[in-house]
Amino acid sequence: MIKAMMQAFTNLFKPVHTVKYPFEEDVVLPKDYRGLIEYSEDDCIFCDKCEKACPPKSIVFYQHPDGSKEYKYNAWLCIYCGECVRACPKPGEALWQSEKKPLSATKEQDVNNEWFVWQRAAAESRENHAAMKKAAKEKKRQEKES
Amino acid sequence: MKKVVNIPLGSQHISLLEPIRFQFTTENEKIIEVGADVGFVHRGIEKACSETFEWKKVGYVVARVCGLCAITHSLSYTLAVERLLGYEANERIKYLRMLMVELDRIHSHMLCLAHVSENAGFEAMFMQIMADRELVMDIQEAISGNRVQFDYIAIGGVNRDVTPELVNMIHKNLDELRPKIDDLMERFSNNWSLSLKYKGVGVLTLDEAYIYNALGPLARASGLKTDVRAESSDFPYEDVGYEMIFESSGDIYARNMVRLREIINSITMCENIIDNLPTGEIIEKVKGKPEGEVVVRVEAPRGELFYLVKGSRKNFLDRVRIKTPTFSAIPAMMEVFKGSEYADAPAILASFDPCMSCTAK
Repeated sequence: MIKAMMQAFTNLFKPVHTVKYPFEEDVVLPKDYRGLIEYSEDDCIFCDKCEKACPPKSIVFYQHPDGSKEYKYNAWLCIYCGECVRACPKPGEALWQSEKKPLSATKEQDVNNEWFVWQRAAAESRENHAAMKKAAKEKKRQEKES
Repeated sequence: MKKVVNIPLGSQHISLLEPIRFQFTTENEKIIEVGADVGFVHRGIEKACSETFEWKKVGYVVARVCGLCAITHSLSYTLAVERLLGYEANERIKYLRMLMVELDRIHSHMLCLAHVSENAGFEAMFMQIMADRELVMDIQEAISGNRVQFDYIAIGGVNRDVTPELVNMIHKNLDELRPKIDDLMERFSNNWSLSLKYKGVGVLTLDEAYIYNALGPLARASGLKTDVRAESSDFPYEDVGYEMIFESSGDIYARNMVRLREIINSITMCENIIDNLPTGEIIEKVKGKPEGEVVVRVEAPRGELFYLVKGSRKNFLDRVRIKTPTFSAIPAMMEVFKGSEYADAPAILASFDPCMSCTAK
């Protein structure tokens, strides 16, 4: 009993274990910390493999009618599991996992709504593209027959 | 004349960590009847596993059932799927998975002990145990890359390897932790607030534990020798120095002692695993789609975790059923409450180490 009280008392004069996080940024992250996903659009071959592998669907590709693609990554939806990096055919060049700590979004950024708009637009663009392709195929087939 | 009073505990209460609601019928101060409601944090994970997420991604979904035993959930699911695909992991993968599960057990038990001491009115001890727990959390963060959501176990292996620097770090932290646990053991057996006060409170007898299907440390404190680690052959636990720990009195004191001794045993196991890591690949390619039905049991920190996975060669599984240890132990918990004082209820509840987000999922 006395021993416990003594320890509780000495603990008063020990350094604190906690960090005042947003004001004091000296959080020591371990080596190989699973941080933000980073990418270089120039090296990407637009194979969609990362999109298919992503569990929370935080990478979404938009299909332009001319065949080119565009993608967006939602760092706030991401769970930083690294599945996309493992699925990527060019890991380290097109897509890699950094050791940076993800930042929190502010209200002004309006992350969620923007993302929903993008998701809907991307899904629609894909449907349109698929329909266009199908129509072109049909046309070709008809031309062949005639 | 005795007067019967109904007193609710929860769903929001100062002594509760997570939402659970108990309805106590008390006679004077004695509890005579208990009702429990556990569904406050239902998130529909079982449904999401079979409708929203493909089978390859479900491992990441079930890891979010619980923050404390995330690794056990993803491990159980992965084992189930691997069994459906007819794949068996090599020794190195098994050892690495075992290491993470045991580290998880250490920090989960420490959290429970911290809350037990907090409920005894021992705030300083709570802070001290939580600070010591950081040693294990640091190891887990260094191994998996994240503090709570490890996402370490993948289908066909594990996502990251243990490097020589990591081995040194694990040894250093565990060596630092061991004397602290020995010290805690002394505190929990000699300090008045933590030992005498808790002796004979919240007793679950061996017969009751057997009838009401108690699991994990709750059962082992009553002397019921049940542990999935000893019963199943998924992992080579005997090779790394596992021993079953049990007490006989079945009160809060016995549960604390079981947890403390299990921590010591887990530290020994972790050291043995790290020293004797077999060589081999850490991840192997698994082909095919799950077909059939399989049941997997894994010992989580709180007891037996049960998974049923059913698939029929599709991208989406037919059924994922999760039965968590706290859910299975609720009848035993309710039995313990009967006959004890109402004032003891928060302390008894903390000693069960209930995990409501697991239970309601």
